[in-house]
Amino acid sequence: MSTDTPPPSTARVAEAALRPLGWGGWLGFALAGTGVVVLAIAVARLLWVGIGVWGNNIPHVWGFDLIAYAWWIGVANAASLFAAVLVLRRHGLRTAVNRFAEAAALAAVLAAALYPILHLGRPWLFYWTLPYPSTWGLWPQFGSTLVWDFWGISAHVLVTSMFWYVGLIPDLATLRDRAARRGRIGLARAYGLPALGWRGSVAHWHRHQAAYRMVAALVLPLLLSAQTVVALEFAVTVVADWHQARLPLHFIATGLPSGLGIVLALAVALRHGLSLREFVDRGDMDLLARLLAAAGIAALLAWMHEAGTALLQEDGTTRDAFLVRLAGPAWWIAVVMSGLLPQLFWWQKLRRDLIFVPIGLLAAAGVWLDRWSLVVDGVSRPRVPFPVTAYAPSGDEWALLLGSASFFAFALLCFGRFLPAVSMFETRHEESEQELEEEER
Amino acid sequence: MSGGATRRDALRVMGASIALSALAGCDEPDEFGHPLHGRGRGVASEDAVFATTLELDGLGRGVLVRTRGGHPIKVEGNPRHPASLGASDVFLESAPLSLHAPERSRQALQHGRPAAPGASRDAFNGLRGEGLRIVTGPLSSPTLRRLVAEALAANPGSTWHVHDPMADPASQAAALAAFGEAVEVLPDLRAARTMLCLGADPLGHGPAQLALARAWQAGRPRLLVAEASPSLTGARADRRLALHPAEFEPLARAIATELGVAGLVAGAAHPAAASLAASLREAGSEALILTGRGQSAAVHAIAHAINAHLGSRALRFVPAPAAGGAEMAPLEEAMRANEVSRLLLLDVNPAHDRAGFAAAMGRVVHSVHIAERVDETGRVASWHLPLNHPLESWGDSRAFDGTPSIRQPVARSPGGEVMGAVEALLALLGWEGTGRDAVRETWRGAWGEGDFESKWEEALEAGVAGESVPAASLALRADWDLPGRPIPPGLAAHFAPDPHLRAGAFAHEAWLQELPRPLTRLSWGNAALVAPETAARLGLAPGDEVELSLGGESLRAPVLPLAGQAVDCVTLPLGFGRRAGGPVGEGRGFHAAALRPADGAWVVPDLTLRPTGRRVALIARESQPGLEPDAAKVIGPGERLPPFAPTPSLHQPWSYPGAAWAMAIDLDACIGCNACAIACQAENNVPVVGPEDMARGRGLHWLRVEKHDRPEDRSVFQPVPCMHCEKAPCEPVCPVNATLHDHEGLNAMVYPRCIGTRTCSNNCPYKVRRFNFEDHRRRVDTPARNPDVALRPRGVMEKCTYCTHRIQAARAEGRLDTVETACARACPTRAILFGDLNEPQSDVARARQDPRSYLMLEQLGTRPRTSYLARVEEGGA
Repeated sequence: MSTDTPPPSTARVAEAALRPLGWGGWLGFALAGTGVVVLAIAVARLLWVGIGVWGNNIPHVWGFDLIAYAWWIGVANAASLFAAVLVLRRHGLRTAVNRFAEAAALAAVLAAALYPILHLGRPWLFYWTLPYPSTWGLWPQFGSTLVWDFWGISAHVLVTSMFWYVGLIPDLATLRDRAARRGRIGLARAYGLPALGWRGSVAHWHRHQAAYRMVAALVLPLLLSAQTVVALEFAVTVVADWHQARLPLHFIATGLPSGLGIVLALAVALRHGLSLREFVDRGDMDLLARLLAAAGIAALLAWMHEAGTALLQEDGTTRDAFLVRLAGPAWWIAVVMSGLLPQLFWWQKLRRDLIFVPIGLLAAAGVWLDRWSLVVDGVSRPRVPFPVTAYAPSGDEWALLLGSASFFAFALLCFGRFLPAVSMFETRHEESEQELEEEER
Repeated sequence: MSGGATRRDALRVMGASIALSALAGCDEPDEFGHPLHGRGRGVASEDAVFATTLELDGLGRGVLVRTRGGHPIKVEGNPRHPASLGASDVFLESAPLSLHAPERSRQALQHGRPAAPGASRDAFNGLRGEGLRIVTGPLSSPTLRRLVAEALAANPGSTWHVHDPMADPASQAAALAAFGEAVEVLPDLRAARTMLCLGADPLGHGPAQLALARAWQAGRPRLLVAEASPSLTGARADRRLALHPAEFEPLARAIATELGVAGLVAGAAHPAAASLAASLREAGSEALILTGRGQSAAVHAIAHAINAHLGSRALRFVPAPAAGGAEMAPLEEAMRANEVSRLLLLDVNPAHDRAGFAAAMGRVVHSVHIAERVDETGRVASWHLPLNHPLESWGDSRAFDGTPSIRQPVARSPGGEVMGAVEALLALLGWEGTGRDAVRETWRGAWGEGDFESKWEEALEAGVAGESVPAASLALRADWDLPGRPIPPGLAAHFAPDPHLRAGAFAHEAWLQELPRPLTRLSWGNAALVAPETAARLGLAPGDEVELSLGGESLRAPVLPLAGQAVDCVTLPLGFGRRAGGPVGEGRGFHAAALRPADGAWVVPDLTLRPTGRRVALIARESQPGLEPDAAKVIGPGERLPPFAPTPSLHQPWSYPGAAWAMAIDLDACIGCNACAIACQAENNVPVVGPEDMARGRGLHWLRVEKHDRPEDRSVFQPVPCMHCEKAPCEPVCPVNATLHDHEGLNAMVYPRCIGTRTCSNNCPYKVRRFNFEDHRRRVDTPARNPDVALRPRGVMEKCTYCTHRIQAARAEGRLDTVETACARACPTRAILFGDLNEPQSDVARARQDPRSYLMLEQLGTRPRTSYLARVEEGGA
């Protein structure tokens, strides 16, 4: 934290959640809300008419559905990885950015969780992948990666929401108290219920810290496992391009730029949209940008590894399959947008809010294209001759993609509107630490 | 395998006879056929098999029709009929679909409006009298020919015209010139050692295809093919030449010159002649030249002369079973001159096939059109009367070799005004009696009164009513040569029947519309086929629209560059561009027949072609090469493939104490006729998805026939059903156990359990799994569906089951050794073998021991139950 700014007051943070909505807020809500309505229509059409409304075919049985799924998981993971590392390392940056990073992770996981169900031919039977005691005496096939995937995504949703919620409890209590002071009893009760009777006693703080760290520690292996399970869905198949042990690592590494890119763009929105420049200051943004650049390097290494193993290995089939992917533009654009472009942030001059937003979003889009390259281009040439028709996503698929993005935005807007976007208790904690330091001096 | 009926066939027919004798004396409607065997007449679970006859181009092919609850659900070949030999083709297989087609006409129409019940009598009354013109298709039916003759006799000054868009006038002219008689050449491909086809396509679709293909497989003559456009015969040739239509006559004359054929009026030179002539000379009396549609009369005549010169024993001559009748051109002229006032069109559609016919026919005051659908001709006619489907009425027919057979109804007629062709002529004559009586009358005349009843019963039982006609012994006339006007070089139009729709008679069959054509891979449409060189010269890409002009007429058509097409020859497939006849056929493709001259010529020079700059979306299901090179293996003669060596596997081994079902597909026998694919569709209630979904790559055909390109633009065809892997990659990835291994090695699909993750399709290296992107059940759930096979809801996977319901039925009946899948049953060359791998003497177990046997993608360790036998080619892989 820079010391030249006046000591920030947590009141401003709570203010953001409690003050009336401006025209910008209304516009944001209107746009995102419209997107959510589009999502609802797309989902309704999908359930009513079936997968036929999409552009899938044989062999392109998967398309936008699995791309978006893998991509949203990547966004969620990078965001919660970021937040968890901050919590565990007690890094100064955590006070500013970790709360909305957590929120972004949760929203992204929820967006991702839509797809494994919606992509089914008969979505209403999704629960057949659960091990429940059915009257048929039939269990799911535990060897199937799709069953692993069910465990992966449900664990992800649970832990991410726990992580977010546990961190939120003291602040919910603060909001409850302020609302009560203003006499808005209904609102105070609404905040009070999830605040679980928090009174800020030392015992409460003690337990809270232990619980928060524990959930944060849970997040770390989960990040690896969630991406790994998604990657295994591809890696265990006999599809020539997918059948590679390196795929989990590839998913984890290339997933980072998408999440960090989204977090970076969100941070800019937060700074300007909710006037929280003091809480998310230049130093935070610098750090975040350099982290994105570093993630870009990690992703570049993953792509180099991918190209190297595919092109140099003896198995001509895998090589040919990878060459088919190289023939499409998606792979190359992904490398440029998510790998090379973030490298600009090593230059301090370029680390500016105006540049953060486009490059952050392009980095995220690049990872989406990497998933396209894998899911679509990866199967466009089967092992045997086959009349392949190119996959062309339909309007319904675009509606679902934009709809899930709107859902993500809508969830974040609600979060910014009704809950403190920046961790008040941690900011206060830092304030008191600062005061302590001053006293010691 | 030796020719003729196998033990299996004998058993089947024996069982049939026993069942029939048990049934004799049952009370059943007079106008209904006699089932070979069956149970529970008239109840919903009724299950019967009838021997009857279906026609193609007017020539009969014997079939066995399986009915359920009175509805025909499956047509298979009759092993005792010479034009089927137990096999079937795409036309036979799709008969139940057309029988149950909702657009069939059910009531009489007068000027397009429904006529009062019983008013059809007026239609026939108006026909009787002087100057009646009767138009039929080519008629081989003895009863119809007898009744037509009676009608001509009853109405003075009347004429019988035959409308046959598939006829080849040049061939008939050449036969007359060479032998003085209208005879047809019946090749004996068993006896031939070397066969030269000049535009002939004996393995292609046609009324004799099943017999010719079976004989070809038995004899395997060396095939030399010269053709203007790729054909199934050319695809299988040992040597193939793509020739412009103008080159055939010089080639034929040059070969005749090389061989020293007497009576040749003019010689010629051709670079390919010497080697072809040498091959023919070497084979001597075992050589054979066949000529096909699109050749000039001179080429046909030269072929007759060369065959006579070589003393070929590989052919015989028979009188054409459907010969007779006047041509159509004089009728058209007479109609234009307002000289025709009474016109009967029986089951023909000249308004589609002949460019100016509809306008001329509009001048006829009283025209009666009797057909199954209100087609283009029915729209112009003053009366349209509904016709029975062939499977609903009595009749008879002759096969390509003259073998007669009775056609008995296997389904009830819709009733009302709907009548059979025989009944229609009886009504014209004003005679009492039923169609059955008329057919019996014909055969009573042929067989005599003595033992008529027993012969009649026998004919219905066997599906064959006598022997083929004896071969005519003919001497070549000295003045056989017909040096006419040769076809000039330059851009020429080459009309050709569509492999699935013929000249349009099958345009209403959705199965045939949708299944990709064997060579062009086109679905739901046609295209002007041009050589890649011609396309490159004109800068045309697939789907580019051109304007074709010929003799003052012009039309627009998309082009499709096709490897193996002769340069400067544009092939125009007939059968499309229908403007009436039902929603399946209407508005598909372009109407090539509009350019065809009135004389029915197959090749017309001086075509002009102008790109319009527009594009048409063609649905061409052309396969791209796979990542692995060896899907279809080709080896040299005598070469051996390494035996199957199982790779180690972590998955648990299965044991198969009972049967272990397997299939072996012989790529060397497969001719790419698509019969297996349609048989599978008919057997397994495979839905038609329509042109939009075909274009999106969502076709549901369980069995696809892949085409692999070979040198000289030949092809290897490879039917690809489910491989039923012993280590099936689809099984372990399904989260809900919807696809499983059964105790006999079938890779089973449990439709109600499937939730549609589609992971199994991703993990199928053979890409044989199909997904129900939409709910097709409503369209399939007609009486034509096979009740033994479940309909699949939206959102579930489906695929080839090895006809598991047939295995179950065979087990219930205790005849597991005779179980056959629908595709194996249909195959004319017996390229598909099915059986129990645990039975060392089964065909399929022996095929596995064949040195040509291999497994597709063997290196993946999937251990498929479907194995292949490699194609053998001179020169090898």
